[in-house]
Amino acid sequence: MNQLNAQGNILVVDDTPANLRLLVEILQQQGYLVRPVNNGKLALSAAQGLPPDLILLDIFMPELDGYQVCQQLKSQEKTKDIPIIFISAANEVIDKVKAFQVGGVDYITKPFQVEEVLVRVATHLNLCLLQKKLTQKNEDLTEIIEQLTRTQEQLIQTEKMAALGNLIAGIAHEINTPMGAIRSSIENIANFFELQLINLPKIHDEISLEFQEDMMQLIQIFQQQTEHLSSREKRQIRKQLVNILETHQINQADEIADTLVDLGVYQSKALENFLPLLKQPEGYSVLEKTYKLTTLETSTKTIHTATERASKIVYALKSYAYFESKETVIKANVIEGIETILTLYHNQLKRGVEVIKNYKNIPLIACYPDQLNQVWTNLINNAIHAMNNQGILIINVWQEEQRLKVSITDNGHGIPLEMQNKIFEPFFTTKSQGEGSGLGLDIVKKIINKHHGTIELNSTFGKTTFTISLPIEQNQDN
Amino acid sequence: MDKPIILCVDDEKVILDSLKIQLKNAFQNSYSYETAESAEEAIEIIDDLQSDEIPILVIVSDWLMPRTKGDEFLIKVHEKYPRIVKIMLTGQADDQAIKRAKAEANLYECLPKPWNFEQLITIIKSGLTNHG
Repeated sequence: MNQLNAQGNILVVDDTPANLRLLVEILQQQGYLVRPVNNGKLALSAAQGLPPDLILLDIFMPELDGYQVCQQLKSQEKTKDIPIIFISAANEVIDKVKAFQVGGVDYITKPFQVEEVLVRVATHLNLCLLQKKLTQKNEDLTEIIEQLTRTQEQLIQTEKMAALGNLIAGIAHEINTPMGAIRSSIENIANFFELQLINLPKIHDEISLEFQEDMMQLIQIFQQQTEHLSSREKRQIRKQLVNILETHQINQADEIADTLVDLGVYQSKALENFLPLLKQPEGYSVLEKTYKLTTLETSTKTIHTATERASKIVYALKSYAYFESKETVIKANVIEGIETILTLYHNQLKRGVEVIKNYKNIPLIACYPDQLNQVWTNLINNAIHAMNNQGILIINVWQEEQRLKVSITDNGHGIPLEMQNKIFEPFFTTKSQGEGSGLGLDIVKKIINKHHGTIELNSTFGKTTFTISLPIEQNQDN
Repeated sequence: MDKPIILCVDDEKVILDSLKIQLKNAFQNSYSYETAESAEEAIEIIDDLQSDEIPILVIVSDWLMPRTKGDEFLIKVHEKYPRIVKIMLTGQADDQAIKRAKAEANLYECLPKPWNFEQLITIIKSGLTNHG
């Protein structure tokens, strides 16, 4: 009680000096700090100057009456929260409803009992204090929630970049491989120009008319080849060709067969057309010249394929790292998102994961595409990890009424039953330290929730499936 | 008379295609050139050639390939054929793997992709003089 009194700063307003004196006296005895004023105008300036914790306010006063004073105090930001207790004489007609309507918290009638005044004052001071504390707590909580939301956004972004960090080594390989092919192809072309270009004008004179025909045929075969044989198949064909060449007693059978296969001459029947050429002393040199010319085209095609590979990877990286801070729902193709992630994981997958894709025709869905990409990244990464880089990854995408479904299945070690409830919790991880943040599936779950979707887990030894269901449309107010 | 072999191993056809053109440009008909799209296929070829008594002089192998990786592959080869010159040509390999290949497969050199023609040829030539 004393503690409260010490903090109580009370403004007392009454135009009757005797009343004023009495109130000041009893309140001061309780240890309150009391400021007496005898009219409405002074009351307003006193309250504005140093807002009290409570006001005792007489109703019937000349000029400004209590109601008006109260209304004005309530209309000012600085004074609107000060509790006001009205005081009026018993013989005066007091409008109790009006007293509350203008903002009073209580009223006391004169002549009053000292105890009653003190109890009411103490109660309202206490109430006011509690309310202030509550307001403060509320503000603190709002602040904390805002901070949490910001932290969560940062975590999502950090997690995304951490996943990217794990991918970087693989991506370096993915880009360096086409770069290697491009550089060596360019060097091959440059080499040709450096050594062979000077001979080109003479090529007509060096090769007789009938062999020019052979050359053209060889080039045609080379340009028309559609099947891409494996090294193993080529080797077998080469052996067959060597046998044929040797039965015709043609020298350098090994080299000729090798070049013929590189030119796309695979059938023994096709070879027969060139036997007259190859039996001639200059036959081998004509073949080699033809081969040299075709390497230009091989190198050009290699560069073409390689640049496409490299730009595909760069594109995938760009769409993955893309971070839309101003979030808007847009229509996007979920399959494209999944393919982007598979491109990024290509070299990790090729170490021993077979990917089976069953994509049905699906509509575009309203979503946050970059966030969904994060979902696919997490699930695919977990699957590869669970299979220890060896196994079968099955991705199904289909439509079921107004929902889009994606299931990602691996044949890895599975998730033990006792852990299945925990995996979506933040900081829960089955990976060893440094391998996983433990945030992956928590973030997946949050992103799915944001899309008003669901994620289900079905796991037994050797088969783990995550099934995601997303609405095709998001409501406007989302 | 069968010529000695230079064997290239890479799971990317574009790399094998361009490597073969480069090697043929550099060494003409001094060697035969074989290509394999995986370590498994390469081992098959090596065993085949060995039974025909055709010597393999150099292997140029990628590191990151499906199933068996470059270092494992070269170690396996080294156990049976320590005299083959082993070169790694890779877009990315972890340091541990290279260390292991150097220690256990006597890896002659590891070249990063994209590689330089002159450099590759110089290394193969020096490998051949030092080991061959």
